[in-house]
Amino acid sequence: MTHPESGVLAEFRAGLVTGRRRASIASHLEACDRCAGLSDQLGAIPVLLAAAPPPAMPDDVARRLDLVLAAEAAKRDSSERTVDDSPPHLPEPRRRWDFRLVTQRILVPAAAVVVLAAGGFGLNRVIGGSSSSSAASGSEAAPAAARPANGTAAARSEATSRSSAHPAIESPLNFPVVNSGINYLRATLAQQLETELQKQAQSAAGPQVLASGSLKGCVQRVTQGTRPGTLALVERAHFHGQPAIVIVAVSGGHDTAWVTAPGCSASSDHVLATATLPGTSAS
Amino acid sequence: MPATVPISGPISGDEWPSDTELLRRHVGGDSDAFGELFRRHRDRLWAVALRTVCDPEEAADALQDAMISAFRRASDFRGDSAVTTWLHRIVVNACLDRLRRRAVRPVTSAGDEQALEALLAHDPDPARATDTRLDVDAALRMLPAPQRAALVMVDMLGFSVDDAAAILDTSPGTVKSRCARARARLLPYVAHLRGNRSATERVSPAQGGDT
Repeated sequence: MTHPESGVLAEFRAGLVTGRRRASIASHLEACDRCAGLSDQLGAIPVLLAAAPPPAMPDDVARRLDLVLAAEAAKRDSSERTVDDSPPHLPEPRRRWDFRLVTQRILVPAAAVVVLAAGGFGLNRVIGGSSSSSAASGSEAAPAAARPANGTAAARSEATSRSSAHPAIESPLNFPVVNSGINYLRATLAQQLETELQKQAQSAAGPQVLASGSLKGCVQRVTQGTRPGTLALVERAHFHGQPAIVIVAVSGGHDTAWVTAPGCSASSDHVLATATLPGTSAS
Repeated sequence: MPATVPISGPISGDEWPSDTELLRRHVGGDSDAFGELFRRHRDRLWAVALRTVCDPEEAADALQDAMISAFRRASDFRGDSAVTTWLHRIVVNACLDRLRRRAVRPVTSAGDEQALEALLAHDPDPARATDTRLDVDAALRMLPAPQRAALVMVDMLGFSVDDAAAILDTSPGTVKSRCARARARLLPYVAHLRGNRSATERVSPAQGGDT
């Protein structure tokens, strides 16, 4: 017979070939070194795969999952304590993170938004050149979490931007959002942000979109103590591998950075980390 | 929590409660039981997730989705399979869901033969064959997700075909067939991997390569 294809050999080995066909392959294998060799190699695959060392769960993943489950348990406990007239779970859309509980009780290095308000870099820096970007963010904005609730602030900010003749530079609620692939880490947040701010100051940032309503609400909420016009950076990035928003604002000579989860909105922030940057002097 | 929980108390009651017992306690209101159950199996669940989605971040997300889902749906567990089978099924489904949703930005090149060739061509140094783990990961990436899931269950994690079928919600025949196709697909890669040893003595590197 002709040499059976490797797929057939694999099925033969798995016992999926029966009857006369099986007999004919078996006798071919007796006679053909080439096919016998292939068959041996097929047999070696499970051995090879089984020998691959099993990956250990990384500590940060283990910790995160422990926290998530603890938050679930806490939520369940508290909902059991309340009377039964409220539904046990809100009919929310599938959420990536259980922000309300997880991020408030414990800081989970999870999905995040970094908001940076910085000294040396005025808002105009960030704003410049944003006119071409479209307000595209709705869909990419908050993968799952943010939902209604940010209505008022969002509406207000929409109104603000529309009323001013040209993209309101002064308004803290009309800013472009930088999309970067940066993965910020808690331990190196400040250093990474300083580098990023310098980069932003020197060149036009990467892909930008105007902030969505919920993001505006988020920035407003997160930076509430900060005067308008001092926003240095709003960036969609990652924090410990999870989507995040980074906000940097300038206040009192130094820059403050917040990392929040993408579901952040006017009604709830989900600050996962903050950092203070040494007021980025002049430049 | 209040002592109204219909179980004897914390896990210390008996030294090593069964999985089923832990799940029962969880459903009964024990706040620690599910976490304990998860910790007991997490390395294996992690291996399943990581091998199935081939990306640590995606794996962590999928596992988190799965654990929240299992936590909330624990009362659906009817005891017609082992608790581990039930947990694994939820994890695998979360992984496959995620892969489907992310199809726009494929994590895998879903069986792209050219990618496989490129992988082989890119790695001419036999000394690198020592890094089997990377090679295995790269090879797994070449498989379509359903084949990979089956192969991971059976060949890597040592599940029986029947258990794998229960986890994957399919028939044993389908599991066997997916595994067979996956192995056939990996064949050129494995021949290369072991190319410096006995394999080359009998066989030319890739099956269709000569004549």
